[in-house]
Amino acid sequence: MNRYRRYKGWLLFSPWILTFLIFWLFPLVYSFILSLTDYRLLSPDVDWIGLGNYTRLFSDSDFVASLKNSFIFVIGTIPFTTVIALFFAVLLNERFRGRTFFRAAYFMPSITAMVVIALIFSNLLARGGYVHLLAQMIGLDPPANGFLLSEKTALFSIMGMDIWMASGYYMLLFLGGLQTIPNELYEAGRIAGASRWQQFRYITLPMLKPVTLFIIVINSIKSFQVFVEIFVMTKGGPLNSTFTGVYFVYETGLRQFDFGYASAAAYILFAIIALASLIQFKLLKTGWTA
Amino acid sequence: MMTFRRILKYFILGVIFVIMVFPLFWMFALSLKSSGGGLTLENFTYIFSANKFGRYLFNSALVGLVVTAGNILFCFMCGYALARRRVIGEKIWFYTVLIVLMVPVHIVIIPIYILMNKLGMYDSYAALILPWLVNPIGIFLIRQYVSTLPVSLEEAARIDGAGEMRILFKIVMPLCRPALAILAIQVFMTNWNSFLFPFILTSSEQYRTLPVALALLLGYQSINWSQLMAGSVVAVIPILAVFLVFQKQIIAGITAGAFKQ
Amino acid sequence: MKRYSILICLVSLLILSCGGDKAQKIKISWWNFWTDANIKPVVEQIVADFERQHSDVDVELVDLTWADGHDKIAIAFSSGSGPDVVELGSDWIPEFSSTAHLMDITDIIDNDRDRYLMWDPAVYQDRVYAFPWILGTRILFANKDLLSQAGTDPEFSPKTWDDLYSASKTINDQGDDVFGFGSNSAERHRLYKKFLPFLWSNGGSILSDDGKSCRLDSPEALEALQYYLKLCETGLTDTQRRLEDAFLDGKIGFVISGDWLLKRIDREKPGFNFSTHLIPVPHEGYHSISFAGGEYLAVNAQSPHKELALELIKHICSPENQILFCLKNRTANPSSIAAASDTAFLAQPHFDTFIMQLETSRMSPAHPRWVYIEGKLEKAVESALYKAKTPQQALIDAKNDIDELLKP
Repeated sequence: MNRYRRYKGWLLFSPWILTFLIFWLFPLVYSFILSLTDYRLLSPDVDWIGLGNYTRLFSDSDFVASLKNSFIFVIGTIPFTTVIALFFAVLLNERFRGRTFFRAAYFMPSITAMVVIALIFSNLLARGGYVHLLAQMIGLDPPANGFLLSEKTALFSIMGMDIWMASGYYMLLFLGGLQTIPNELYEAGRIAGASRWQQFRYITLPMLKPVTLFIIVINSIKSFQVFVEIFVMTKGGPLNSTFTGVYFVYETGLRQFDFGYASAAAYILFAIIALASLIQFKLLKTGWTA
Repeated sequence: MMTFRRILKYFILGVIFVIMVFPLFWMFALSLKSSGGGLTLENFTYIFSANKFGRYLFNSALVGLVVTAGNILFCFMCGYALARRRVIGEKIWFYTVLIVLMVPVHIVIIPIYILMNKLGMYDSYAALILPWLVNPIGIFLIRQYVSTLPVSLEEAARIDGAGEMRILFKIVMPLCRPALAILAIQVFMTNWNSFLFPFILTSSEQYRTLPVALALLLGYQSINWSQLMAGSVVAVIPILAVFLVFQKQIIAGITAGAFKQ
Repeated sequence: MKRYSILICLVSLLILSCGGDKAQKIKISWWNFWTDANIKPVVEQIVADFERQHSDVDVELVDLTWADGHDKIAIAFSSGSGPDVVELGSDWIPEFSSTAHLMDITDIIDNDRDRYLMWDPAVYQDRVYAFPWILGTRILFANKDLLSQAGTDPEFSPKTWDDLYSASKTINDQGDDVFGFGSNSAERHRLYKKFLPFLWSNGGSILSDDGKSCRLDSPEALEALQYYLKLCETGLTDTQRRLEDAFLDGKIGFVISGDWLLKRIDREKPGFNFSTHLIPVPHEGYHSISFAGGEYLAVNAQSPHKELALELIKHICSPENQILFCLKNRTANPSSIAAASDTAFLAQPHFDTFIMQLETSRMSPAHPRWVYIEGKLEKAVESALYKAKTPQQALIDAKNDIDELLKP
């Protein structure tokens, strides 16, 4: 009877086993094998070239540039997104009239498809678009042909857009974190004569550490994989200034069909993401609590 | 003093509100603008008649609903099996959650692309649906929820002679409704907005979903901005409606950490 | 049990009798890119015509899209499947012919070579692998209202580089809101096409005649790039799409574009006051060589019905069917010489400019690694346009990179 029930249990669980094996584990192994070959779509012969693709990648200036851009993207967005999201959350944590309304409004960009956001902003950021006009009005000196056509501003404007889009989402995560802080802590703080800032600094922030860690890790993983924005808005240009790691994989793998080479690039990105997440865990010295 | 603080707070909230909402407002406004400058619905009629938006809308809805239904069923089955210790190695299965969260999709997309081609499923509904029918985050959401339900109900039913299927779907599943609702909404929203997989695994208009259609339309000479924004509105409205109706569940779901964008 | 077997017999009989008619027909598949509701009926009509002439043939139409039709073809060929007849963009042909996926049609089309234009991109190692169908080239569009506003004769036609530069500058000086020449920004697969007409008209070329080395380090290339950059200063740099928007808005004096812009003007601004011209040349006496591209039809080397497939191609490309197709699609450049000289065709406004331009137009060199060469060329123009490199440096770097790619 027990064995029979076990067997049925595995049957119930089989959808995930199958999905995991076919659509995650197999591709992971397969692309690693691919990365050791020179497999290209239209050429019939495939050879083992060992780490050849990996060494070629590091002398490929396009790949190195794409890595650099990915790093700029991650390092340049995460602090802003996190701080802004926290600010929103603190602002919208107390009860007051209209709280739900503002929460919903701030969250709205996050539920909108990235493609739609990218389309909207490719117009707003172009010459004569509202963001461009606003920048002119307040006396900034925006590039004459719009933000996306200058190699100095293209990447930063897409980063800005991402911060705008993601803040509302992480705000909700922070709100969830804020609710887990017991009120007694604040009461104790008030009795000890702590100011609002001190309460925030010594109670709220430390208590939010696990959520913050979670947000930073998730956000780095996501930001490292930025693709749709680039595809819709700049296609990697101008002068490769928005050419990111994943875009490199897309171009070499699915445009030029250099499957082996693209898989190697994908694995390097994977290694970087895994390493970065590990370092973040260690740095913040907190366990996984999600 | 208090009132000054309040005014200041509302002022800050208002400024942020404008920044957060203006781009979407602009999208709506432009989609309703006629070429002469007045208000019109002609951009919508144009994209539906000349650009097969009806088809894309149908595809997005079909894929979204099937994937959502699949997740309700399969995440429930898997989550239940885990919760009732019918499957061993829970820790290992928890690591698959981490893998799915951490592995960048572009690393699996080339093999999946090759696989779909070999299976003859490239450019079909199967390619859009099969990989997403169950997700580990959903499984653990259900697992968590089922563990809070008392086992006694199931045991009582078993003593009454109810079969496994009956217990599972007639007794436990209805009890899980709140968790399943959160799961369904999140899966639907994520799927509705997804771009990369549909973009790479399909090519014909027959299987094109809204986000893919929008990204490709930007490159066409024959469509103007108002029409493009009308298309965007079509893609946004269903999600906005879902969001406004199910706000509470959505926020609850995200704060439970069960949302992978 | 017995009842079931009778039933099965009946059903299989039914299937056989229904399928019988079709089983005798030969199936030919044609992958094409014409999904537009406006033109698809014409494609279907042409095919139905062919089926009427060959009652034993059934042509299956499969739609591809520009977004990833190329990928789909590549995958199909590499897995040994693929259609009998396939439509290919001109610069894709070498990729498939060099890997032996296309049928060699050299000996079968002999007398057609004089009746159709632009065979070059279909040739690989002196053999022909594809049949030219619909061609396209780029010409210069001018806004007549802006010309007269700037005090120039609205009928003015810029013949030389100097003509174009000074006319463009005069318009550009009219104010902050009007621009002389509309030039492409860093846009993949678009930017280099705008530079090539100037390079070629100046006697330059990308590759040497034997295709073994890159010639972008020539003085002609440098001169062309320097002129192009100077011309870009007298106007607006933006994406092709927004340039054409601005041209239709009356903001830009000159823009280089293809026949799709005619279509757009017809639909959106029927009364628009514009003129069309050949691409200007460096000095009088030079040939105006523009960039051309085209749609070609090829037979799958694995097809079991090669002869029929080729017959279908010839049917599609016949002068009558080309006229039918091009008039409906507002395409100005059929590959058939007879179609291009038909009076009904020449009567279309501005088509003559396109037809005249095509006579001296060129396509990108047919090379299996063209995608990569194109990338390097584009990078050179882009880095010079964005002043990341001097024109000299950009061209020399591109030459070295391309020479590397040309090594066997």
